[in-house]
Amino acid sequence: MMLQYFQRLASVTEARISKYPHQPNARKKFALEIAKLGIRLYSGEHRVAWCGVVAPFDVLSAMNVTSCFVEFVGAMLASTGTVGMFLEESEHAGFAADTCGYHRAVLGAAMKGMMPVPDIMIATTCPCSGGLAAMENLARTFKKELFVLDVPSSDTSESVRYLADQYKNMMRFVSDRIGGSIDEDRLRESIVKSNRARELMIEVYRLAQHVPSPANGQSLANFGIVMALFLGTDAGIEIAQAYKDEYEEMIRNGKSGVPDEKIRLLWLQNRIQFKHPLIRLLEEEYQAAIVIDELNDITWDAIDPDDPFTSIARRTITTPLNGKISQRLDHIQRLSKLYKVDGAVNPCHWGCRQGTGARGLIQAGLKEVGVPVVNLEVDCVDTRNFAEGQLRTRLEAFMEMLRSNPTAHGA
Amino acid sequence: MYYLGVDLGSLSCDAVLLDHDGGVLASSVVLTGARNREAIAKATDAVLRLAGITEDQIRATVSTGYGRDRVEKRLAAVTEITCHARGIKSLFGGAQILIDIGGQDSKAVRLDPNGQVIDFAMNDKCAAGTGRFLEAMARALQVDIEELADLDLGASGNVTLSSMCTVFAESEVVSLIADGVEVREIVSGLNRAIASRIVALVRRVAPMSNGLSIAMSGGVAHNSGVVRALSQAFETAISVPPKPDTVGALGAALIAREKYARQS
Repeated sequence: MMLQYFQRLASVTEARISKYPHQPNARKKFALEIAKLGIRLYSGEHRVAWCGVVAPFDVLSAMNVTSCFVEFVGAMLASTGTVGMFLEESEHAGFAADTCGYHRAVLGAAMKGMMPVPDIMIATTCPCSGGLAAMENLARTFKKELFVLDVPSSDTSESVRYLADQYKNMMRFVSDRIGGSIDEDRLRESIVKSNRARELMIEVYRLAQHVPSPANGQSLANFGIVMALFLGTDAGIEIAQAYKDEYEEMIRNGKSGVPDEKIRLLWLQNRIQFKHPLIRLLEEEYQAAIVIDELNDITWDAIDPDDPFTSIARRTITTPLNGKISQRLDHIQRLSKLYKVDGAVNPCHWGCRQGTGARGLIQAGLKEVGVPVVNLEVDCVDTRNFAEGQLRTRLEAFMEMLRSNPTAHGA
Repeated sequence: MYYLGVDLGSLSCDAVLLDHDGGVLASSVVLTGARNREAIAKATDAVLRLAGITEDQIRATVSTGYGRDRVEKRLAAVTEITCHARGIKSLFGGAQILIDIGGQDSKAVRLDPNGQVIDFAMNDKCAAGTGRFLEAMARALQVDIEELADLDLGASGNVTLSSMCTVFAESEVVSLIADGVEVREIVSGLNRAIASRIVALVRRVAPMSNGLSIAMSGGVAHNSGVVRALSQAFETAISVPPKPDTVGALGAALIAREKYARQS
């Protein structure tokens, strides 16, 4: 089912890009590469690694392994509208219905044989313990040994060295399972491509800060977190270049992502992955643009091709998703100022203890920089718990509040 | 010239009709039931009849409530948070906190001196402590919902409910009755449990609510027992208008009048 879905997505998207080559198509190119990644994962013709969110995908790419974080599958199942049966499958097996929908969906998919059996499994202790538990469950289901990257929470030279050494062990772990030795030239080439994509992504984020923004409610959804999967590849460079070109042209022509942009929003944590009318409501009724997602504009220093593991370890350790909430809060406050946001939307992904547990701190932190927050109660994957009317009321009241009182404090 | 506000809620559909100067001419409350449009027509017909005017004399209508998009011939649809805030401000000009407990949700709204919403919080994904909750408890106690209002009088307050889940709380109430606990003690426990949830909601918009002026709207404000429990919890009097369930419709009608004036 998933292979056919990705194949159809690829062909439809390719046809659209060919038919309208001069229309803005960065998002379509992004979708096309996602479809191609899905095909590689499900075709049975490639070495596959199921990973945690902050695995070094550019390194795995250099080893010719198609790698992906498992939450991607949960998001894809949600976007196809079929996630319910997989959630039920995991719940029937005893997983609590109020835990993270991404992980329940993935576990259900594995139980139903809808996840390809991987060659390699690499878990990460960041960003959440739920993800690690899901990976351990999957490893048992697939009868695979699990390699765990233990990501330290503090940015010290000892921590960086500790994680960098684990990457070397990880490469040996991968190499032992797929055969062959590590190709240093291939790794260097991957790092060069990863750095180029990074430079372009920084440019894309800089352009999105423009007032009015070339970003609308959807164009950069899932961008930063999924782009990690394309680091080290030509596809990653091409996607980022397409966004940069498109945004530059829009700004040059005085176009904004949302016509007559009136409200600029920061979207916290995850997007709602299934089809829903809330983004269109924001755009059409309130001329509100989501100019930045918390999971975008997470940047890092360029990777040193001569010492890649140290640089990659720093990249991972310094991600705002790692360590104390204050690190995440600093990131969110920085984005709020840079992107000149009027308000923030926090979906509080229901099963995510990290997301819901930090809700009060985040609301207080954004209040400090004058940014009001509306909290939604939604599982970003579980369509069965989507109370559209309730969420509409919260969002619309928030928009009314922002429109009538620009100095409002929170919601 | 007349202005109409219609609040289509989950339990009741309310309408308020204003005259040219913003004075209230008539108000109505009907059960929403399963047919939204019938409820809207009934509530509207009632205020037209009471005021002795015809529909074509209405210059502007603003709708609110969960079914706000189902009201035809509306100038605008505005959320109940904004409408209740606008309505309560016209009734209690000094209100700084508004508590609105309706049929299926509860809200705490922080108001600025001009009556603008500067913060709000709503119940999380659960209808505990709302009108539906009280309906279920009245059913468990085998009393009419209106009777709940004074059933707590004289209670010592020594019964605490351990669950606010509507289903579990109903079971708990049945168990307490079976154990011979006095009805007034059970009702007092229910009211205090609702108040406790509302206090938490208000803290989200006003961490220090001491000294702030609090008003209440929504159908549950008819329940004087809940209002008493809230007053005790906040250690201050709660201002309740005579027709708390029509505050949203009143706010909608006031907004209709303002919007029409701006457009003309």
